[in-house]
Amino acid sequence: MRTRFLSILAYTGAGFTLLIAVCVPFVLIMGFSNVVAHAGLHIDATYSGGTIARTIQRSGYRIEVYQQVRPRMFERTEPFVQIVFEPADALPARVNDEIDLDGDGRADVRVSFTKPADANAKMHGDVTALNGGYVSLSNASGESFSRMVVRTGNKIVVRVPMK
Amino acid sequence: MASQSISVAPPKAFRGVGRSILLTVPMALWALLMFTPAFQKAGRDEHIGALVVIVFMTGLFFMMMRTGETYRWRRIFFVALGFLFPFGFIAALIAERGTMSIPISRMVSGDTPFCFMVTPSLILPAAFARTIIFPGSILPTASNPHSIAIMIGVWFAMTLVLGKAWCSYACFFGGIEEGFAALPKRRRLHRFVTKYGSTLRLIPWAILVFVVLVSAAIFEPVYCMWLCPFKAVTEFPAVRNVETAIQMGVFVALFVGLVVVLPYLTKKRTQCGFFCPFGAFQSLSNKINLFEIRFDRTKCVDCTLCQTSCPTVALSKDSIAEGKTLLNCMKCGACVDVCKKDAAVWHLKGTPVAVKPERARLLFLYGAWAMATMFGGSVLAGSVSTIIHWLPGM
Repeated sequence: MRTRFLSILAYTGAGFTLLIAVCVPFVLIMGFSNVVAHAGLHIDATYSGGTIARTIQRSGYRIEVYQQVRPRMFERTEPFVQIVFEPADALPARVNDEIDLDGDGRADVRVSFTKPADANAKMHGDVTALNGGYVSLSNASGESFSRMVVRTGNKIVVRVPMK
Repeated sequence: MASQSISVAPPKAFRGVGRSILLTVPMALWALLMFTPAFQKAGRDEHIGALVVIVFMTGLFFMMMRTGETYRWRRIFFVALGFLFPFGFIAALIAERGTMSIPISRMVSGDTPFCFMVTPSLILPAAFARTIIFPGSILPTASNPHSIAIMIGVWFAMTLVLGKAWCSYACFFGGIEEGFAALPKRRRLHRFVTKYGSTLRLIPWAILVFVVLVSAAIFEPVYCMWLCPFKAVTEFPAVRNVETAIQMGVFVALFVGLVVVLPYLTKKRTQCGFFCPFGAFQSLSNKINLFEIRFDRTKCVDCTLCQTSCPTVALSKDSIAEGKTLLNCMKCGACVDVCKKDAAVWHLKGTPVAVKPERARLLFLYGAWAMATMFGGSVLAGSVSTIIHWLPGM
């Protein structure tokens, strides 16, 4: 009796597995994807740069200053601040901007780079620290997640390491 | 005996052509359904790719029905997937950015395609810090359709059906080493693998614990950044300093050692059996999956052919004596096909062992092959259409 009951359960389960298989491409993949998408997760700030703190408007383009990213206990990345210049197409041929990173009304760094003619060309730029809290970068490109001047799509991403 | 390959068992032709065709019809319809979108919108190369894959997958399923064998036909699909996936992937990378390396600018813009192998490393940071430690995007974008949410959705939904059989019907990497393992006539290092098998199959668990804990501690996908052999044939961080140069060296060394040389020498899937932490993680799904391989002890003569044939050392003398496989069995069917006494059988948990094993096999195969056609088939179709696109005169 028990064996028969277990067999009925087993075949019911096998049938259910086949039903799931049929549902996978039509319902389940998007269903589970939506669960992940709405789980309140975010990409780690080391990769995404974190969240925008302030936007500075310039003539024809804007500068987004992100919140400081500080590594967790064993994280290997240096602390940094991300700055995004966009749209890259609207930037002047040579950018030389003094930027207030911490919102105290005084410029903290001077960022200078030449806008690449080709969107895929490797960039090089300089960051000059105007106070002791930041690290200057010379001829920087895509060295590490905390030191970079790179173009991504229609944006120029600059990451300034902090002391 | 030990050096015999798994093709020594006599073919188990037990179904007529008509019945085999009837059993194949549902899978042929499924394949047509899966590739209908390709016919509706894509170009000529994609149409040919889809058609080739429909015929290929349906033909292999027919042969499974006709011969009663699973392993050899599944292996043809799996090796094709293993070799064609990197081909299609690399071709797409070269066409898009001219190189296999991924520059840091694409990482910070979330354009790294998500790979399911990194999934275990994400769990702890996601659970405790709500953070995903991968340079991709959560939702699909125009420049990165293989987003984290989509790929985890694919993996989880398919795992409900396949369990650990993911590793033999869906993983697009395992086929490479299975291909190299199929090349030699006789296996070498057999004594070593048999003697140290119990230790070797613990290594993936150790690596799993290591990558999960260290990834959570340093907030980096450690397996991706340092240990994945398949970076050598997909994409890898652009070499920009000493660290990334060392990473590249590790990827190549692991690929050559674990995916090419050792499978060739041992005729085992050494990366899957002795290294892959995702495979170890996926083994846990065998606890809830209804399908398994069992051994009819009344028929078993302890010849150990099944143990020798197992590509991932998922059998031990003790487990065979208990009539079971180990937790890391990926249900490839090698042991069932090689057994001359029909002692190794497909089994549906909850039913008596060795009673209607073919019914259990069919129930498993319909689900598994449906997933293989949907996921691996679409990868194959993409790669075939790329090849056609590149053929001179096409």
